[in-house]
Amino acid sequence: MVDQAHKPEETALPNNLQQHHKQDEERQQQQQSVLENAEYEDEELHKLLVPDVTQLPLTPSSAVESNFASYFAPDFMKPGNDQYVYRHPNGLCVVGLASTHSAFKDKGEVSAVDFNVGKSDRSGMKVTGKRKKASSFGNAQHFESNTALCKVCTSDDSYIIRSCVKGSLLEVNERLIKQPDLLNSSADREGYIAIIMSKPADWLKVKSSLLSLEELKKLREAGSILPSHNSS
Amino acid sequence: MSNEVESAQVSDATEVTLLSSSAEIESHAGSCDEEMTLQLLKDAVQSLPHHVVKDLLSVGVCSRCVLRILGSEDRIYCHPLLPQSILRSILEEVAGFKSEGNFQLCSVCLGILQLSYCDDKETMVKMESPNDMASTIAELVKTEGHQIDGFSLEVSVPQLILENESSLLSGMKKINESELWFQERMLSKCVSVKDVLKFAITKPLETLLDVKSTSAGCFRIRLTYTHKRASDNSVERNQGFKRRRISTGNGLHNVYDKAVITSKVCSDYSTNETISVTGRSSNILQDQETFEHLRIPIDKVSEPCHLVYLCYRTHIYLCGRYLKYSRNVSQTRWIIDEERMGEASVEEIIGSNILPMCRGDNYKFHAAGREDIDVRMLGSGRPFLLEIQNSCQIPSEETIKEIESKINGLENKLVGVKKLKVVSSQGWTLMREGEAEKQKQYCALVWISRPLEDEDVQSISLLNDMQILQKTPIRVLHRRSPLERQKIIHWMKIERISGSPQYFLLHLCTQAGTYIKEFVHGDLGRTQPSIGSILGCRAEIMQLDVTDVKMDSF
Repeated sequence: MVDQAHKPEETALPNNLQQHHKQDEERQQQQQSVLENAEYEDEELHKLLVPDVTQLPLTPSSAVESNFASYFAPDFMKPGNDQYVYRHPNGLCVVGLASTHSAFKDKGEVSAVDFNVGKSDRSGMKVTGKRKKASSFGNAQHFESNTALCKVCTSDDSYIIRSCVKGSLLEVNERLIKQPDLLNSSADREGYIAIIMSKPADWLKVKSSLLSLEELKKLREAGSILPSHNSS
Repeated sequence: MSNEVESAQVSDATEVTLLSSSAEIESHAGSCDEEMTLQLLKDAVQSLPHHVVKDLLSVGVCSRCVLRILGSEDRIYCHPLLPQSILRSILEEVAGFKSEGNFQLCSVCLGILQLSYCDDKETMVKMESPNDMASTIAELVKTEGHQIDGFSLEVSVPQLILENESSLLSGMKKINESELWFQERMLSKCVSVKDVLKFAITKPLETLLDVKSTSAGCFRIRLTYTHKRASDNSVERNQGFKRRRISTGNGLHNVYDKAVITSKVCSDYSTNETISVTGRSSNILQDQETFEHLRIPIDKVSEPCHLVYLCYRTHIYLCGRYLKYSRNVSQTRWIIDEERMGEASVEEIIGSNILPMCRGDNYKFHAAGREDIDVRMLGSGRPFLLEIQNSCQIPSEETIKEIESKINGLENKLVGVKKLKVVSSQGWTLMREGEAEKQKQYCALVWISRPLEDEDVQSISLLNDMQILQKTPIRVLHRRSPLERQKIIHWMKIERISGSPQYFLLHLCTQAGTYIKEFVHGDLGRTQPSIGSILGCRAEIMQLDVTDVKMDSF
């Protein structure tokens, strides 16, 4: 931005005004350089931010894939009851219905999810505090692997979904109560059933009976309702 | 019995007198004024009640204690250049007392005001004048390489001295209460051993170190006297100075390995000598000399005090902003099962480069918030505070610039530093204040499951101060309380990436404490809304960078 009013040839301007203009110009130059510096820094920053497109995968792995190890329990407690267990390195397990679950083979879609099973309504439970052990707070329920989590209903049938993992129940996906359709659209993500904290020892015991995704798929290709060798 | 600690900032009437006398003494400095000094001293001694002086000397009270106990106003006896021997001979001459042979430790001050003590090498030391003692201390300061612009002198003496003094004084009072000299001299509290010692060596220290003694200084010189009889309980021995264990992730070496701290006491070398010389035992019952003016319930002293010098500086703080260019560097030292996570830490890179320049013992790193190990910290950088413990010198401006260049010029280019400067301990408050309130700016590389449309760019940019609800992310749910946190996304801007229809840069500014990654991928629906839910598709976050941590004061 140049001060248009200041023309060196105009001797008509009195001295003090000339000085003023000079100060203005200096100040503007300073501001200019500050701006330029800032722009330069921004540019440098921007260079760091923009990625090399050629290095980016066409379809990146999902958050679940990157952050969890996925395991599957085929025919858990009942033929066709295929469930998944995503285990996070921090010991938390997310459990839900695998895509090969019988519920998705029904003519009708999943219409309702009811957490009021077993001894208490799972959805009413609230766990508080960092140390989520029953001993400290008395409200993180200890589940065995066969403890019932919820009941999933389609128009044809209903299915009991179980814990799969032994541990403390931290959270159930209450959204399923109002939006059971989440199971139809994304059972492997937003349609998860519950989060359970399991101890390393308990996990190791159950891990040996679980399959990887490939193994599950192979198993199901071979014959859909045949019970697997590994049902617990 | 415990050691008392007293720093130079005692402000009572005695200090005022000390200062005014000091001016007097200063004006008498100079070799041609030696005579004047001696004359002043003689006058001061003359004015004391001679018979009392004689009795005190006879029971082993040293010259300086005699003068201070008898309320001698003139501080001339604290003159730094005044040799012990001369002081003593003047007293003896005036009082008509002849001491029997060799040196005897004062029964009140345990030799402290006789400038006698046992050093860390278990050797008996006997300084001739306060100036000599000051020289030793100044040497220590110089040898340890401290660079100072002031000092604060602290002296700690055994409680036993106060007990001795009070027994002596109460004994004297019982007999002499009605005497004129007693009423004139002894009704006000006498100057303490500590004050006399400090007064005697402060001025010469100032001269030798070429700096002023100041109560505001952060460089401390501490003299700790201990005595076997007084320190049978080991707790007291260390009570004089705070020896805090510096734990934390630094796990570096412990503090105070500069000064020699021993809890051993001088051997009993002196016992035999003094017994044979004075012919007195240390048993009070056998010690039944009657004195006209004193009832002496104090024991003879056979062992000197043990003296430990300690020079230390209180913490100095450096603040600045750090940048993290690597996605494999954690903010603080992070070790799990003896294995380090990431290849380095910001804390260690900065701390290890600054510590040697300040010649400190240890450092503690504090930052205003933190980012994940795989998140870069760019732009303005994140404010941090580095606490250096017991440093030998406060870094100058040039040194600071050197440090900055050094860190920024490191080959591996993992970390950068900006705006580095020394601050007062108030840097703490400044940082804490800014931490929770300030907004943070990010840039995320996002992928969506369908091509990006113009409407998407438009709709995202229209969302201002949008409230989101985040359940505690699964990745931290094992160690954080399961809560639902309300956060604000102040603004967002999508920047298209040429050559890629499904990737884009998302610039956003959020409230402190927002989990950005979860806001992008939704955390299995536990963060609502999320980028995915807003755009109606699946969204994944590939990379995250912090581009601005807004905090004005840093």
